[in-house]
Amino acid sequence: MKDRRSARFPAKLASAGGEGAGQGIWSGTISFSLVAIPVQLVKAVEPGRVSFRLLHRTDYSPLLRRMVCPEDGRIVPPEETVRGYEVGPDKYLLVTDQELESVSPKRSRTIEIVEFIDLREVDPLYYDHPYYLIPARGGEKAYRLLVEVMRRTQKAGLAKFVLGEREYLVALKSAEGALVLITLHYSEEILSDEGIVPEGEAVDAGERNRLKGIIQERISDFKPERYADERRKRILELLEKKVKKGAAVEAPPVEPEEGEGPADLVRVLQESMRKAKRERR
Amino acid sequence: MAGRAIWKGRLRFGSIDLPVKLHAAVKEERISFHLLHKRDQVKLKQQMVCAYEKVPVPLEEQARGFAWEEGKYILLDPEDLERAEPADSRMIEVHEFVDAGRIDPVFLERAYYLEPEGSQKGYSALAGALGELGAAGLCTWTMRKRGYIGALQRGGKGLRLTALRYADEVVPARSLELPQIPLSAKELKIAGDLIGQLTAPFEPGKFADEHQARLRKLIDQKARGQRIAILRPRRLKPTAPDRLLEALEASLKKVA
Repeated sequence: MKDRRSARFPAKLASAGGEGAGQGIWSGTISFSLVAIPVQLVKAVEPGRVSFRLLHRTDYSPLLRRMVCPEDGRIVPPEETVRGYEVGPDKYLLVTDQELESVSPKRSRTIEIVEFIDLREVDPLYYDHPYYLIPARGGEKAYRLLVEVMRRTQKAGLAKFVLGEREYLVALKSAEGALVLITLHYSEEILSDEGIVPEGEAVDAGERNRLKGIIQERISDFKPERYADERRKRILELLEKKVKKGAAVEAPPVEPEEGEGPADLVRVLQESMRKAKRERR
Repeated sequence: MAGRAIWKGRLRFGSIDLPVKLHAAVKEERISFHLLHKRDQVKLKQQMVCAYEKVPVPLEEQARGFAWEEGKYILLDPEDLERAEPADSRMIEVHEFVDAGRIDPVFLERAYYLEPEGSQKGYSALAGALGELGAAGLCTWTMRKRGYIGALQRGGKGLRLTALRYADEVVPARSLELPQIPLSAKELKIAGDLIGQLTAPFEPGKFADEHQARLRKLIDQKARGQRIAILRPRRLKPTAPDRLLEALEASLKKVA
C-alpha cells in the first residue's frame, strides 16, 4: 500500500527534472477556454521535513531509492530503463516513453479546464494528492489573473491531463496567490459503504442533542499546525537527550542534491540547546 | 461491496466510547508497468542504495538518523523512534471540533469508512450531531506504529475518518514567491464572467480515465506486433500578456 502511494506519479517522469524541492515534476500548459498559460507542476507535500533519514549503518551515508538490477546489484539509471507490460512469466511488451505519449498526445502537455465548480460540492472522499502549479516564462500575467478570479468567485477549475500511465482528473484552486492542483479519484474508485455504515438510523434525538451541545462547546478554528507542533516537540525532546550523549555521526561527502536537511527544525533544536546551556550556567 | 476491516479501535471523547472498525473508502486499479533494464529486459527492483558506495543496502544494514547539520546525523534506535510516536493504544481520541468546511483539502490524505461495532445508537447519534452542525472532530490515533491526525465527519449515512497530512509536510504557498502583477478591472470582469459561464455542478460520474482504454488498445496493438505511430505531444502556444484581454473576449463570445 505504501509503495502504491510513492509511485503515484511514474517514477521515471517524476525524476525527470531532478529530485530537489521546487523542481518541476512536469511542464505544460493550462488551457482556460482560449487562454493558454505555460506552467510547471511542483510538489506541495514534502514528507520528511520532520522525519528521519535512512542511513547506511557502516558508513553513515544517506540511502537513496534507486532501481537496481537483481542479477548484478548495480544501480540502473533512468535512461537505461524501459517500461514493460507483463504478458506472462518473465515476458513483457516493451512500451517506450514516446509510444506512451502518443496515446494522448494533446492531453499529455495540456491541463484542460473543462468547467468550474464550487469546491463545497466535492465530497472530501474524492481528494487525492495536492501539487502546486507555478507560472513558466511568459505565463505570469494570465496565471495571476486565473488565481485572482478564482479567489474572487470562490470557484475551482475542473481539469484533465495525462501523466505517464494515467489520465488525472484534477481540481485547480486558488490559495494565497498560488494555484493548487489536487488530483481527484474517479467515482469508480470510490468504494461503497454498504454493509459498513448502519442502514436505518436508530434515532435517539436526546443523545444527538446532548452531543451537539458538547461539540458546540468545543468548536474552534482549524489550526493543523498545533498537531504538527506536538509531534515536533516530542521529537525535539528525544533528540536533546541524544545530543547530550554526543551521538552525532558524520556521513561521507555526497552529491550536493542529497545534502538538504530539515533546516528549520535543526535551528529550533540548536536554539533550545543553547538556551538550556545558558540556564545551566 | 464492503471490504474487510483494516483496523479496529475505539473512538473516544468525553463520556463517549465507541468501538469502531476502519474500512478503506477508495480503491485504485489501473494498468501497471514494470521497469525493465533496456539491455536485457530483466525486471528491475526498487531498493535503497548507499549514496556513497552506490550499492544496495539490505534491511539489517539500514539505520535511521536525524539530520543534525550538513552531513551530520544523530542515530536513532527503533526504541527511540517508538518513544517519538505515541503508544499504540487503539484509541482514536477526539480533541476538538472545527467547521468541516474550513479544512483545506490540501490536508486530506486518505479516507476511511467507520463501521460501528456493537451498538449503533451512539454511533448514529454522533453522526447525526456532526452532520447537523457541519462539524468535524479533530482526532489522533496510532496505527501500524505511526501517529496520525484525522478529521471525523458525517458522510453519507455514517461516520468517516480522514487522515490528514501534518501541517509541516505541506509546503506553504508563500514559499513559492510568485510575482505580483497588476490586472485591469476589465480583465478581471471578463475572466469572472467567463468562469460564471463555465460553472457547472460537480458530477464526478461524468469523467472516466479515457486514457486507460487507449492504453489498453496500444498494448493490444503491440501484442499483435503492430507498429505504433509516434505522435509528438502537442504544446499549446502561450497567450502573450498583451493578447490576454483579446483572448478572454474571444473566449466569452464563444461560450455565451
